[in-house]
Amino acid sequence: MSIIISTIQKCCVKSLEEKLLALSLTSTTQIREKHKLNPPPRLRNPTWFTKQNRVVKEEFLTHENKEFLREIVQDKVVESESKLPVVSPKEWNDKLQRTGVIARKVGIYPMWLKDGTRIQTTLLQVLDNHVIRYYTPEEYDPPRKQVGGIKNKKGCLLLGAESADPSEFTKEYCGLFRESGVIPKRVLSRFFVSPDAVLPLGTQVNVLHFQVGNVVDVRGKTVDRGFQGVMKRHGFKGMPASHGVTKTHRKGGCIGGGGEKGRVWPGTKMPGHMGNRHRIQKGLKILRINTKYNIMWVSGQAIAGETNSIVTIYDTKLPLRKPTNPVPFPTYIGEIDSTIPEDIYDEQVHMFNDPTISYDEK
Amino acid sequence: MFSSLYPFYMVFRVKMFLNIRNGLSVATNSSKVIRQLCTKAAAFENVTNNKQSNESSKNNVVDYRHIYPEFLPDPKPEFRNVLREKLERSDMIARRTQIQIPEFYVGSILAVTSSDKHTPGKNNRFVGICIDREGCGLRATFILRNVIEQQGVEVKFELYDPTLHKIEVLRLEKRLDDKLFYLRDALPQYSTFDPNMEPELLPGGSTVPVNNLKVKLKPKPWLERWERQNLQGVEDLGLPEKFYIRAKELEKPWEKYDLMKDYMKTIPEEEQTEIFSEVQSHLHKLEVTRKQMKRKRVFVKPSKLA
Amino acid sequence: MLTNRFLNLQKTVSLAKNYLHTSGERYEIQKLTRLRVVDNSEIGKQAMAEGKPPRCIHVYNKTGVGRIGDKVLVAIKGEKKKGILVGLKQNQKTKVPKFDSNNLVLIDDNGTPMGTRIHVPIPTILRTILKEKTQAKGADYTKILAIASKFV
Repeated sequence: MSIIISTIQKCCVKSLEEKLLALSLTSTTQIREKHKLNPPPRLRNPTWFTKQNRVVKEEFLTHENKEFLREIVQDKVVESESKLPVVSPKEWNDKLQRTGVIARKVGIYPMWLKDGTRIQTTLLQVLDNHVIRYYTPEEYDPPRKQVGGIKNKKGCLLLGAESADPSEFTKEYCGLFRESGVIPKRVLSRFFVSPDAVLPLGTQVNVLHFQVGNVVDVRGKTVDRGFQGVMKRHGFKGMPASHGVTKTHRKGGCIGGGGEKGRVWPGTKMPGHMGNRHRIQKGLKILRINTKYNIMWVSGQAIAGETNSIVTIYDTKLPLRKPTNPVPFPTYIGEIDSTIPEDIYDEQVHMFNDPTISYDEK
Repeated sequence: MFSSLYPFYMVFRVKMFLNIRNGLSVATNSSKVIRQLCTKAAAFENVTNNKQSNESSKNNVVDYRHIYPEFLPDPKPEFRNVLREKLERSDMIARRTQIQIPEFYVGSILAVTSSDKHTPGKNNRFVGICIDREGCGLRATFILRNVIEQQGVEVKFELYDPTLHKIEVLRLEKRLDDKLFYLRDALPQYSTFDPNMEPELLPGGSTVPVNNLKVKLKPKPWLERWERQNLQGVEDLGLPEKFYIRAKELEKPWEKYDLMKDYMKTIPEEEQTEIFSEVQSHLHKLEVTRKQMKRKRVFVKPSKLA
Repeated sequence: MLTNRFLNLQKTVSLAKNYLHTSGERYEIQKLTRLRVVDNSEIGKQAMAEGKPPRCIHVYNKTGVGRIGDKVLVAIKGEKKKGILVGLKQNQKTKVPKFDSNNLVLIDDNGTPMGTRIHVPIPTILRTILKEKTQAKGADYTKILAIASKFV
């Protein structure tokens, strides 16, 4: 027995020695800046970030088989539409955060107010938003951890928009939609909501989620302008065109001083990639809603992105412009039918078929 | 010269388009386009032939593009969206139920009555010649010019501004140019119009007359270099030879043969017919109701005070 | 023929010298811009008749560019006088008229116009602008509206 123990001990000691030797070997060959070469993973992609589009190959299907596949997709669409989740209305208060929606920037055109002033409006088409998934506050693992405790933890609601043929997506991507039973969508977006504002999976959110006269924030991706110089990117003046200037007409010039500050300061404006960044335009008023085409008219013309680009709309974060009257909570419940007018205008806005404006003598 | 610039298949894409600018319809099929490539002369012939045939078929939906140019959207592909254009058109028609926006052209004399925020209770009437018309959709604008008390005045109006009460056409005619900005440098008599002018009625069914008036400009200095703009409605400018030589150097005579440029600047004919056939029924209905209202209006005997 | 052309050239060159624009294409009113006096004040009439229109030497606003209804200081016949801009050559907003010349009405320090009549039309927007600019105790610019002959 003792022999066995001693042999085991010997073995252990031997292996330990080997390990130590190996350790000592590695510790002697020092690698500088090792922490930079292999940084700890800080950013983790959310679970719904998977490869979206499948590589489409020619499958040599017969016409009948193609028809059959189309029929299956059609059946799935019908099936997904038949299941309507039950949403129960709740009491709203201004501490609660509702979900936002995915929309498309459709264009810009002017409207007039009742006092005759002209304003620019942006048209946003709310797409076929469906709830895909919900992550409870404990469950949701943010890509970037926040330091310190968070009060009023928010859950995360995953919304999808723009239904498409499932065959254009990967299997993995289609799997995201299995739980909710919704047909796979092209666009996904997450919204933080109060746990009270949770919507059951598969719920549709339409334009009546918002009300005319309320204020929203709109997030879009700015126009991608590629690598640009300082004149275009930061509005520098450039250098003179003549008077002995050579080869420096559109350059930025000096980028730092000497002496104690003899280096390039962080944040110095230099050439680089311009655009293709998410920007939020805050405090835009909803002036008009069209329930037939799910369109809302929002004040201003500076929402980021080209026409036909995807944007997301949220209730405003601006403290003084939050709604005072109750809003549909957790969302608008019920169908859009004939009882609801096609066009809902804000009280300030002049309707196009209203009589011509005239100013009365005071 | 441009067959080398554009591949041949592009030419087939351009087989049908309309040239709004010149008011000519170039409805050519691909074989005609190829012929155009070969000879410039043939191109001219085609254009003139089509113009004649177009004039004969009045009241065509295609003619609407001259009468209602603002219904055509901006042809820039990055601004296009079918749904927005549809909604914009429906808003335009909604506004047209309240105000009659007549057919007018650059060179026509208009009177615009509008309510003014700065003089409440009163309506402002401005009479002048239309020197420019631009913009599409609800953004459409026009500029009127007149000389009032020896002072040249220009006012820009929006076509769909809800403060406009009335747009009257006092004289319906066209001029030789698309823009009449040169009236700013012309003698004041060419842009002086009586504010109490009576509307001149054209006999029914007649085409819009073109006024071949040649305007005499004041001596230099001018606001723009008019000699470079190939103006038709201007008398001989009487400049030294070198100005004309320079103008000749800067000319771009090849641009009128640039089919791609035209294609990018215009809405294809198919789309135009689609748009106008959608709008036509509404516009026609508006016209009919307006005529009915006119007949119903009771004659009010003018009082002595008036 | 040749001599005629030469004369023509000479004429154009001399004219260009007289009407040299300092404010470029935008027709902005800034320092040294020539203005046109449109009231019937004695000094204004004389200056215009002599062909020595007043020059703007200061614009009383924060941008230094004169807009419609702004007060300016002008040098006229060797004197310094104040005036109100009542019509501009510059492009305006819709429904606000644009004129063929930069028009000026001379006023004194209290806002009282020096002439008794304005012989060109003035824009109606001045009613609002001048009312806003009139201080409670001090200059009353609305007197200009009273001497206007026509509004557009």
